Amino acid sequence: MRILEYIALMAVPAVVLFAGVVMLFGGKNYFESFIKGAKEGFATAVGLLPTLVALLAAISMLRASGAIEFISSVLKEPLSALGIPSEIIPLLLTRPFSGSASSALFSDLIGNIGPDSFASLCAAVIMGSSDTVVYIISIYFSSVNIKKTRYAFPLAFVVMLFCIFFSCFICRIWFK
Amino acid sequence: MLGKIFGIICIVSVFFGIACGNTGQLGSAVIDGASSAVTLTLALLGMMCLWSGILNVLKEAGAIKKLTVLMTPILKFFFPDAYKSGVGSEEIAANVAANLLGVGNAATPLALSAMKKLQLQNPTPEIASRDMITLAVLNTSSVSLIPSTVITLLRSSGSENPFDIIIPIWITSFTCAAMALILCRALGSATRVRTIRSKDYKSLKTQARQ
Repeated sequence: MRILEYIALMAVPAVVLFAGVVMLFGGKNYFESFIKGAKEGFATAVGLLPTLVALLAAISMLRASGAIEFISSVLKEPLSALGIPSEIIPLLLTRPFSGSASSALFSDLIGNIGPDSFASLCAAVIMGSSDTVVYIISIYFSSVNIKKTRYAFPLAFVVMLFCIFFSCFICRIWFK
Repeated sequence: MLGKIFGIICIVSVFFGIACGNTGQLGSAVIDGASSAVTLTLALLGMMCLWSGILNVLKEAGAIKKLTVLMTPILKFFFPDAYKSGVGSEEIAANVAANLLGVGNAATPLALSAMKKLQLQNPTPEIASRDMITLAVLNTSSVSLIPSTVITLLRSSGSENPFDIIIPIWITSFTCAAMALILCRALGSATRVRTIRSKDYKSLKTQARQ
């Protein structure tokens, strides 16, 4: 377990170090590649702002209205039987459809209940190990004009439900 | 998609605001939410710049190509048709490699061009082939080695050890991706022949009528 924790701590520095070594010994001017990529990242982050403004305004309104509390309290019993904290329900509902909406809900959640609470950790694992199922499958298949996607949607949803359940299960074991 | 989500959230909010007697707070909530989007973007901006830059260095140094070679033996089993014909297999491997490294903006175009090539091989152009489904489902269970956005968001909201989340994410995402691949392989073998046959049968029937 110690080794795993060390690997987790060193993952980011190791990648940065690797990029540094490439820049030093790589032959061509890799700092230029860095700047090019960084500019793209900057454009992506800034380009997301208008979307996030709309979504976070809506989410903030949703929380103030008492709707989240209501839905959470209704679903609390059945979900806690499965080991899923009820705070993450709004996140679960938007995760299959939109990456930016779920990121917005995730940051709203951890800002509210703190990044170290159990629900936040579960949400973080779900965010890191699932993706926008509906969005991806519809984009991929519509790009080649496929109308019958056979078992793609049911299977992707089964995997996602398993992922949600498994994320909470792993968090329960890992962060004791 | 986002318009629908926005609309649903707004209607639900106003409905519950009236039902729960919280209408007074809605206005300030809208303003606070809009401001918090700027805070969120600022929190993400530095790391997104840095990480995109570093990933671009790795990409241009050939990291995706090296990973592609390493993964070929595994992918051969899960994308049998693409590797048999050799059409689209390179794009599939590069897509998986780009996802692993976290180069999201490189992964999507690669997946789409893989879909295009798989479609060329598809005997039933309106019905998805098994390799197409495997590729799509695999992309929905995102396997990335460093979940940089999640870590950044945790850190920016005050987490002491945002890296603690990496191992649980690895365990979960690899389990889910493995499950997706195995189920796709099993379902692909189980349903493939029947679908193509019934399709052929239908087209033969319509041809006979004409």
